[in-house]
Amino acid sequence: MKKIVLSLFFMAIAGIAMAQNAILPQNITIKALDGSSVQTSAIQNDGKPMIISFWATWCKPCNRELNTIKEIYADWQEETGVKLVAISIDDARSASRVKPHVDGNGWEYEVYIDQNQDFKRAMNVVNVPHTFVVNGKGEIIWQHTSFVEGGEEELYEVVKKALAETETAE
Amino acid sequence: MYLSMKINLKPLSLLTLFVVAAMGAYAQGIMGGHVTGNIQLDGQVSRQDSVIGAADVPEKILMNARADILYTNGNFSAGLRFEAYQNPMLGFNAKYKGQGIANYFAAYNGDKLSVTMGNFYEQFGSGMILRAYEDRYLGVDNSLLGLNVALRPYEGVTIKALAGKQRYYWEYGDGIVRGIDGEVSLNSIIKPWAEGKLRATLGAGFVSKYEPDQTITSTTNPAYRLNLPLNVGAGAVRADLNYGNWSLQAEYAHKGQDPSIMNNYIYREGEALMINATYSQKGFSANLQAKRVDNMSFKSVRSESGEMLYINYIPAITKQHTYAFLSMYPYATQTTGEMGLQGDVMYKIKKETLLGGKYGTDIHLNGSIITGIDTTRIGGDGTLGYTSEWFKTGDLYYADASIEVAKKLSSALKLTCTYGYQIFNPIVEGHEGALHHNHILVGDLTWKVNRKNVLRFEAEWMGSDSKYDPNVDDKRCGDWIMGLVEYNFTSKWFVSVSDQYAYRDGVGNYYNVSVGYNHGATRLQLGYGKQREGLLCIGGVCRQVPASNGLTFSFTTSF
Repeated sequence: MKKIVLSLFFMAIAGIAMAQNAILPQNITIKALDGSSVQTSAIQNDGKPMIISFWATWCKPCNRELNTIKEIYADWQEETGVKLVAISIDDARSASRVKPHVDGNGWEYEVYIDQNQDFKRAMNVVNVPHTFVVNGKGEIIWQHTSFVEGGEEELYEVVKKALAETETAE
Repeated sequence: MYLSMKINLKPLSLLTLFVVAAMGAYAQGIMGGHVTGNIQLDGQVSRQDSVIGAADVPEKILMNARADILYTNGNFSAGLRFEAYQNPMLGFNAKYKGQGIANYFAAYNGDKLSVTMGNFYEQFGSGMILRAYEDRYLGVDNSLLGLNVALRPYEGVTIKALAGKQRYYWEYGDGIVRGIDGEVSLNSIIKPWAEGKLRATLGAGFVSKYEPDQTITSTTNPAYRLNLPLNVGAGAVRADLNYGNWSLQAEYAHKGQDPSIMNNYIYREGEALMINATYSQKGFSANLQAKRVDNMSFKSVRSESGEMLYINYIPAITKQHTYAFLSMYPYATQTTGEMGLQGDVMYKIKKETLLGGKYGTDIHLNGSIITGIDTTRIGGDGTLGYTSEWFKTGDLYYADASIEVAKKLSSALKLTCTYGYQIFNPIVEGHEGALHHNHILVGDLTWKVNRKNVLRFEAEWMGSDSKYDPNVDDKRCGDWIMGLVEYNFTSKWFVSVSDQYAYRDGVGNYYNVSVGYNHGATRLQLGYGKQREGLLCIGGVCRQVPASNGLTFSFTTSF
């Protein structure tokens, strides 16, 4: 038993060393704000980069991150066409607060609720906030956990880089 | 009593072999696919401290570790989770002691069909009849080991079916859980409604648990043995309606006779109703929630009284506060019976107005009140237990009200001020006592000195009519003050220093120094001092932490 675990572990480490960029998981069911079920394959941005941000209504740093980006989101969209998709991991206790929270804060993001946390597990999110940048091909090219004021500038650098790569590839 | 882990060794070895083979193939570039995962390690070098409730730990170092390895190739995925508790950290059940593969699965996720074999998590509706979930920081893992199938025959229609046994620390409970759930989005199946303003999703589910018979004698009359139902069913119906700025969610659940240790083996049927109404538009939202729960504890093993083997989940509707003193008395749902109301208003005062100033001001109001249900006793175990008048309330369990004002003062300064008032009845934690009345003030200032340096200051005060009593040993009693300073250098490094001190009628002085480093999805944190259990938000993330005294360390990474 121990040997299996160990060998598996080392195989995994070897795997990581060789890993290319993972792609965004498809066909995981999440909820739209109107309560309908949506597959994660619907998360798209016409070949432009996307920011996928896992957050929760009760998470202060998450709210600081999304509120900070809110101020500059229109500029980001105009300059790069980037789209921010906010995935709430609120569970049954607070999931019903997500829609009023999003509207109350005046967020213009595409928001989904991952109540069963299937998407969270598939993306290996441990703590929130956890933010990913996905390039035009749907590959995850960057991720970061935690948010501190100023972190949005680093995030935007990555988005611009992702856009430049996509454009060169074309 | 519980199925041994060993029984699962064979499929486990096969699966392991398969995953290893798949990864080998991947490494050679034959199959493609991706290996991802995450690793988490938490530890504490603990010293005894009876004042804060940190126990004497002979092994000195306590550690919880886990690693998830996930292999994905197109629609196929498989995963393994290794967990080790050597020994379990404070606040985690001693039954976690040990290590091994705690979770494994193989899954196919297609457009119309999803199948998971092995351990899985699932939820029907809001979870009032079924929620298999995990909360790694609370040590809760109700994952089901079995088969889970979801069918999506038409767009907007989902049918789920599952069967399995629930995880019980390192074993699985004896009870078998089976369930079926259907959900329909009316806008998808009724063509004229496709673009309609009314968005409607309806759902219904049914869950049945089977458990072998056992001998339980009546406490009131030991000559009688209880005639236990071997199969217990629970059903629920739900609706999610949205019309323009309005939305309404409602769910009703009913459970058959389910005598268990949780309800003292009474035969009364259970029910729960939850309604949530929201009005929201950009910059303003109002939300009202109501619920009534009567005898709805639903476990797959009738004699289990701890935190495990819950089939369903009845959420608390009180706001989940993040500041230390506001969350010092968290409300725990009374699954045996409670009624509650909760209201929440968010309002953004626009920019360039008298109160809004240059950047606008955010105001957030919240209030809730939770009471017991009315009960008239019929008898003890073996009887229907009690009758209850639907609209009549019982004792006050919990009430709170809070106002939070957040304001950006300049491009560098942001201030959040909160006032909260709480009434807490210790009966919700299982002991009789006087109500606690608490006033709480919080000030939270973030100062972005420049692009790379950010400082955060937090000051909190709590005034309470409660006094510390060594016989009850509730260490939260009394009046408290707290200060916290956090320095962040870019989003990579942080240092935080904090102290919580009971300055009147209480005991305890929780000082803490933490240092952390973030790089990408890797985070390393070291702390020294005394930590109260609860939600901790420092250095840019929020997580639940156990009580500790001494050195703590935490490492997480995702790849």
